[in-house]
Amino acid sequence: MTTDRPFVRRALDAIYDAAGAVAALCLVAILAVIVTQMVTRWVNVSVPGLAEYAGYLMATASFLAFAHALNRGAHIRVGLFLAALGRHRFWGELWCLVIGTAATAYLAWYAVRLVWFSWKLNDISQGQDATPLWMVQAPMAAGAVLLAIAFADNLVTLVLTRRDNIGSDLVDQSHAE
Amino acid sequence: MEDFAPIAIFLFVLFLLLGTGVWVGLALLGVAFVGMELFTVRPAGDAMMTTIWRSSSSWTLTALPLFIWMGEILFRTRLSEDMFRGLSPWMARLPGGLLHTNVVGCTVFAAVSGSSAATLTTVGKMSIPELRRRDYPETMVIGTLAGAATLGLMIPPSLTLIVYGVTINESITKLFMAGVIPGLVLAAMFMTYVALYSKVSRRYKPILDADMSLSQKLANSRFLIPVMVLIAMVIGSMYLGYATATEAAAIGVIGAMLLAATQGSLNWSTFTQSLMGATRTSAMIALILAGAAFLSLSMGFTGLPRALAEWIGSLGLSRFELLMALLVFYIVIGCFLDGISSVVLTIAVVEPMIRQAGIDIIWFGIFIVVVVEMAQITPPIGFNLFVLQGMTGHEMSFIARAAFPMFLIMVLMVFVLIAFPDLATWLPENIRQQPGG
Repeated sequence: MTTDRPFVRRALDAIYDAAGAVAALCLVAILAVIVTQMVTRWVNVSVPGLAEYAGYLMATASFLAFAHALNRGAHIRVGLFLAALGRHRFWGELWCLVIGTAATAYLAWYAVRLVWFSWKLNDISQGQDATPLWMVQAPMAAGAVLLAIAFADNLVTLVLTRRDNIGSDLVDQSHAE
Repeated sequence: MEDFAPIAIFLFVLFLLLGTGVWVGLALLGVAFVGMELFTVRPAGDAMMTTIWRSSSSWTLTALPLFIWMGEILFRTRLSEDMFRGLSPWMARLPGGLLHTNVVGCTVFAAVSGSSAATLTTVGKMSIPELRRRDYPETMVIGTLAGAATLGLMIPPSLTLIVYGVTINESITKLFMAGVIPGLVLAAMFMTYVALYSKVSRRYKPILDADMSLSQKLANSRFLIPVMVLIAMVIGSMYLGYATATEAAAIGVIGAMLLAATQGSLNWSTFTQSLMGATRTSAMIALILAGAAFLSLSMGFTGLPRALAEWIGSLGLSRFELLMALLVFYIVIGCFLDGISSVVLTIAVVEPMIRQAGIDIIWFGIFIVVVVEMAQITPPIGFNLFVLQGMTGHEMSFIARAAFPMFLIMVLMVFVLIAFPDLATWLPENIRQQPGG
């Protein structure tokens, strides 16, 4: 089954999952940063900017995992109407994916623009870390672009094959509740 | 509300997008965009991105993935077996017998997990088969589990409270502390119900286990010591002011890994599973929060929150009447939306109302959590019902009926909370000053 799948399909899935893996590494890094912050405070050493870095890692972790989470069905939605459509579900899914693609493309466009302006205006973080903002915002933009690609990908797949790649995972969804 | 048409369009788009199944985070984003276009000439896109960046990269938010991760690790340990084995000898002689393991088990696991569904699965995995084997009435087995698992949302750590705290900019530690006593009171109310049921119902005739000696009981519950230590460390470090909520979460993750390692259930596969699970769940919440951040910016421009707050103010409702209205409002919303979504969706509108009515914002967090808990067990959308359906194979309607008494107990809890607000506000007012906010 997996061998039949076209190269583009496999490549895209690999990219989504790789970004998800990087996001997971960011979670580990958040843990490391928080622990460092705690330990340094207890021994009265101050490392400036740690809190800001935990925040940047948080944004990176979230955005890079968006596309991966989408295809694993982790993003939450109200399924009542779609379920009620029955055999006409295709049209409901199509509508959702069109809206999703539009919204995420919009998000991606402005995320890239934000990074572009931060770079052009040489924006520096207001916190103690004084990091150039474009550097820490770039992963967010990358994640937003990837999410838009994932939505467009699902839209095209749905139109071509009448099925998208979005799994359903109530476990991941429900673990937030 | 002089311009009614734009507000109507705004609300229509909101219901349209959410109702047709657009992913919640993106639906919020879409509505916010429409709101910006209708009510302001400010360029929407750049304002959106600045807001989203600020909210997504906030330090407070990092407590969220860490607490999720901690729960994911413990979810994959032998904790459910240990919990049943450790608790059942003590519960066996109480009126209501082992049904209490459901309630107490959920209370204990709730204190290491911020999720109600994870609490449900962990406790139910072991207690459902064990209780069935002893012939406990099925409706009670299911009902108490569905109800008590919602304690996962109230007893700290609680994902809903983190989201609430981040959205209204209040201390997560305070909110967590506020949840402790009401959580325990609710658990006690569930246990009282179980005890009364066992005395009254004729269907209650379980097979009793042989009684154990005290030393046997103690020997069985030694397995619970690690998890108790973990709870004490996480909650204690916050209460005593040694750690912020985020730091307590980091302590929790490390503690959970140590616990899993000593049990021998920590290996590469469970580690990556728990990490990836946490990554996805927190990304899911992050998308909703990103949408919500933009929505609350946009809401500000619509003037809807202020208008509503003023309108409510002009009605001259008493505090109690306002809370009753909100109770009904959230129960209805909760029938269609999950808890976190309903909190972030409504809070921009509700917060000014609450503040104007002089209701304590920390207390209101607990109020909202109890109400959102009810939503967990009300059809058609109630996550605990879905999870139980997957675990037991029962019809949704059967599970919902079994859980209905618990729903009523939670309604009662709301009134208890209104009558005795100190339940929620006393503990947070008495925590030690925490370091660095």
